[in-house]
Amino acid sequence: MQVSNVQDSVDLPPELCVKPLALVGVSGLDTLNNAIHKAIWETFSSNRRVERAPVFFKLISNAYEFPVCKPKRSSYDWYIPKGILKKNWMNKHLYEIPAVIVIFYDLDWNDPQWSEKMIECASRVQSMRAALEGRNSRITVVLIQNTLPLPAGEDLLASERAIALCSSCELNSQSLFVLPHGDHLQGYAIRLENAFYEFAQTYYHNEAKNVKSHKEHINKNTHQYLFVRHQFKMGFLNELKQDVHTAHKHYTHAYNNLLEIRIVDTNALEIRTVAGFINYKLCRLMFTLNLPRDAISQFKAHIDRFKNRMGFQELSFEHYAWLSKQYSVFADVFDEAVKQGLPAVQTQHPGIYYQQAAQFAIMRKKSCLELCSSVKTYPHPDPLEGASHLEFYGQRPWRPGKVSAEPPDPQLEQNGIRALQFLETQVNHSTIIISLYGLAVAQYKTYRCPRTRRHLVLQMADEYYNSKDYGKSLTLLTHMLWDFRTERWSDILSQILEKALRCAYLTANTQDYVLLAVEILGSSVCISLDDKRRIYENLNRVLKKQIPFGDPKLPQDVLQNAIVLWQPVFSTAPLLFSLDVSNIITCVETKARFTKNKYEVDQNVTIEVYIRNTCPFLLTFSSFSVTINTPDYNSEIGATNLEAKSLHFHSNEVKRFVIEFVPDSNDVNKEIQIGSINILLGNPLECCLDLKYTSMTNVSSNYPELLHFKRTNDELDFGNIRPLSSATIVPRNSKLNVNFVHHQPALLGEWYEIKIDISNDEQYSIKDMKIEVDLGDEASNAEVAMQPKGSPQKLPLFLSSPSSLQTKEQTSATVFVRAHDAGKYHLQVKITYTLDSEKPVFCIKSDKIVILVVQPFEVTVKFLSLMMEETDRFYTGEEFGVMTQLNFNSPWPIFIEDTNFEFLTPVNSVEGNLTSQVAGMLFNNEEMGVEIRLGVCNKTLESEANIGQYTVKWHRENGHSTTTQITISGLPCESIPLGLKMIAPAHGFVRTPMVLSYHLQNRSQQLIQLDVFMEASEAFMFAGYKQFQISILPHSTRVLNYNMYPLIAGNVAIPRLNLTVPENDSGEPPVMQEDQLKRLIERSIPSHIYVMPQVKGKPTYPIDMVTPQEITSN
Amino acid sequence: MAVCVAIIGKDNSPKFFTALNPDEELNYQYKVLSSLDIVEEKLGVGAKSGSDLRELYLGMLYSLETHKIYGYVTNTKIKFIIIVDSTNMALRDNEIRSMFRKIHSEYADTVCNPFYIPGEPISSKPFDVNIKNIMTGTV
Repeated sequence: MQVSNVQDSVDLPPELCVKPLALVGVSGLDTLNNAIHKAIWETFSSNRRVERAPVFFKLISNAYEFPVCKPKRSSYDWYIPKGILKKNWMNKHLYEIPAVIVIFYDLDWNDPQWSEKMIECASRVQSMRAALEGRNSRITVVLIQNTLPLPAGEDLLASERAIALCSSCELNSQSLFVLPHGDHLQGYAIRLENAFYEFAQTYYHNEAKNVKSHKEHINKNTHQYLFVRHQFKMGFLNELKQDVHTAHKHYTHAYNNLLEIRIVDTNALEIRTVAGFINYKLCRLMFTLNLPRDAISQFKAHIDRFKNRMGFQELSFEHYAWLSKQYSVFADVFDEAVKQGLPAVQTQHPGIYYQQAAQFAIMRKKSCLELCSSVKTYPHPDPLEGASHLEFYGQRPWRPGKVSAEPPDPQLEQNGIRALQFLETQVNHSTIIISLYGLAVAQYKTYRCPRTRRHLVLQMADEYYNSKDYGKSLTLLTHMLWDFRTERWSDILSQILEKALRCAYLTANTQDYVLLAVEILGSSVCISLDDKRRIYENLNRVLKKQIPFGDPKLPQDVLQNAIVLWQPVFSTAPLLFSLDVSNIITCVETKARFTKNKYEVDQNVTIEVYIRNTCPFLLTFSSFSVTINTPDYNSEIGATNLEAKSLHFHSNEVKRFVIEFVPDSNDVNKEIQIGSINILLGNPLECCLDLKYTSMTNVSSNYPELLHFKRTNDELDFGNIRPLSSATIVPRNSKLNVNFVHHQPALLGEWYEIKIDISNDEQYSIKDMKIEVDLGDEASNAEVAMQPKGSPQKLPLFLSSPSSLQTKEQTSATVFVRAHDAGKYHLQVKITYTLDSEKPVFCIKSDKIVILVVQPFEVTVKFLSLMMEETDRFYTGEEFGVMTQLNFNSPWPIFIEDTNFEFLTPVNSVEGNLTSQVAGMLFNNEEMGVEIRLGVCNKTLESEANIGQYTVKWHRENGHSTTTQITISGLPCESIPLGLKMIAPAHGFVRTPMVLSYHLQNRSQQLIQLDVFMEASEAFMFAGYKQFQISILPHSTRVLNYNMYPLIAGNVAIPRLNLTVPENDSGEPPVMQEDQLKRLIERSIPSHIYVMPQVKGKPTYPIDMVTPQEITSN
Repeated sequence: MAVCVAIIGKDNSPKFFTALNPDEELNYQYKVLSSLDIVEEKLGVGAKSGSDLRELYLGMLYSLETHKIYGYVTNTKIKFIIIVDSTNMALRDNEIRSMFRKIHSEYADTVCNPFYIPGEPISSKPFDVNIKNIMTGTV
């Protein structure tokens, strides 16, 4: 009971903290026996939501006694106030003196006993009025009626009786209400309630005015307290009235008036207490008025003002308690405002105030320890007697109401202080501090201050430690360790670790103890070497199942308790602690890596394990192992055949171990990973530590690429070892010897032979061998076959080969490839087989051949006239030459077996029996083979058309015969009705006659008439028609013969034959044009002829020499 | 006169820490750590609003009963923190600002040292001396 009294002096009274609501007294409701009354009461009193009027209903029974009204004071002249705020005042106005009294009465307008009931009602009103003697509470009457009321003015009886009732009750007509308890009770209740609320507001307004009226009677010298009290009262009444602004104004005045009072030892507590109250009200109102900045600055000013007003030194804890409370209360108010929607920021939120509250709570505790430790007994007689019945807030129970500055009785004072000190020792400070920290932590979490939060949690842990709750402290500390580890604040981390280790020791938590010890021994933790040595020795003791020694700094009794806790720990069977230390920098660092990122399935997988001891002392492990994860299973591989000494690690020593194992053949093409490294510390039979390192990430640096700049002393260079934690098992590397025999480049169109020579260089014979050949993306342009002729086969092609091969045996397979386009081709060759050893191993040997395909030759075609001149068109019936030319560009000599040119209609061959002109010849690179064939076209062709197929059958030396076909495209063909041909000897001799005969052939259905004119020439004398007109009948030939007598030797121009179309009067179009004729002559008749010098002796005349008779006869 | 200077790396781990009173160092470390919350928040907000990128000075982070904490962040997210005694009225915003600038240039000099490995705590004696001089205002 006494303790709670002390708390009272610090805590805010509940009447201060509630939200003031206008009090409405309800009388005349028999809620126990009358169901209707009960329903009405519940409608009013329960389910009061925010939107309902701010009214508090109180049921007033008939026996209720209102507080007695004090007699009015006419003058304050001789009145000296004994304190500032009376303890009962707020409560009185909140709960005892209603602003409005509602008298419920069951009465219908048409009640048969109307007059009796009216009198009873009036007597009730009268008795209520009597009870309220001196109070200004408004009395209202509510008639509970069964019938629904008629609209106003219609029910004459009602209005008449209402007036009667009002007058008999001496009530204002506005104070009479009717409540039909029918369907819409709630709606009526709300309307009534609002009416009551209005009355209440008026009441409180008047009350406040009433208080204000005292002001003129009081003066500043003697009634300073009253200034505060009256302003406070006005503020409070205005709050009841829900006039927040006015309330705020009055509270501000009250606060300012309070500050004017001189503080002495005797009133320090009272002023502080009242200041706290008013400040609370002010801050709360300012938050309500949405003035958070003002609230904060008011609070800060308040704290600044009172922080140093300690009062009695001996009771400084009281001052700190008050400060702590101020902060926590402000934080509460702030938090409440935040919940109402006030936005808070990271730098200004309730958590800060909770934190401050906790700080002051700590100071309170400290000062309590300082001041109160000597107080062991409670003084007698009880100086705090009557503390709960004090008239004023914040007064000392042993001298209540003492206002004057007269010196207090020192003995009494001393006793009082001792009593308070004694009570203070009973307070559980840690709980207060921890709960404040808890509140602060929650706030800091909300406002995104993870680090501050962590700091608070640490402080909380400290407090738990102080309160000897080591287990909780340890839990908090270990939770926080992780964050500090990631941010590497090693100083802080060291401190936490030490604390945590101490907690672990004190709770005999072996698991945590060894884990923390292992971490502390690491190099990153900076504590003194002596401490490390102590921890090292303790760790060794634990491993030997001995109780470790506690920190010598710990007090003896605590150590004793701890040793008691440790006793049973080692009594059980062998202890094994599995510690996952992946994320902790312990005194043992490990790295493991595969030596390669690919292992063949028949090779041993080797893992290098590096272990470093960063502890300043010797560490000895009993064994270590590596866990390998594959997609299907995990396996643990221990280090074997280790020498006993190899697991002794001196300080900062690094050792390298190699672990080898044979991979499972099922893991081919799968990834294996180093899952974890486990190191066993201690003896498995007694107590051992299984340190498990799972994650292989290097957490020690931001820039691993720069680590090699770091100087290290160990030769293995631990820091720079890059872990390689995964590797792939690949099929074993085949030892088959595969050779491809082929002659690049391949020639377009040929079946290119590739011989695959396989020899088995494996140690074992092989079986199930398959050779698979496939073309990559080029498959559409090339074909693969097993034979150099025949149809191509589908891809991929399995070559026929023996399926098994003895060691050293050789075999070969041949594949033919034909390409349809020049370019590069990739041929995939994959040989799969099984090794015929004890353990059959599946092997793949794959290789790729790149084939370059070139054209063996190019074909170009020229068309020639009979004069061997290139022509650009054919003429019907006129012969022309087709000259095919093969340009060889293959690096290989090419043998032409045969060539053939087949004309296609409408072109026919002129020659009967055709033999190839290049057949049987061998051509080297850049050589040419040319053939010419004569053809004639019988039809006019508008455009170029295929006139024939050129077929070349060839093979490279020792190659397979290949046929290349080329389609030859011809020229347009024109029709011409006249054919012209000159038949002449190959050459003539000087002064020896020779005959030239011109054949003019009419190929048309028409008669052709031409003027013939033979030009004279200096080189020849000639006989024959020089100028005449000829007519050529359809489909007939006219021959003109000329005897030529050459006069000079050499390549001599023949007298030119001129053909012209005669002038035609008939108007018909001529059969031929002049230029047509001219071109005909140019292409058909040679312009020159070779004339040899004269032969010795008599020249021989040509047999067909034309006689003049013959000429004329023509 | 500043009582403590801290340089925090971009991963929020301490790179350099010095306090005039070595006994208080751990206490200051907690303070600096708490103020990092504010720094982080400011950096986060700054990234959103895209305010002046050239302004590295963050201003006062915390004003505690006994100390004031100021912050400064380089473009590479290296944080400089200065703790000043609350009673010290001589140091105005401008002085703090220039102090930060000096520290920044000292830091830049140190980082330029080819023997310094980026990301490692700074353990250079001259640097320590220079920072101490900046703190005590003897430069």
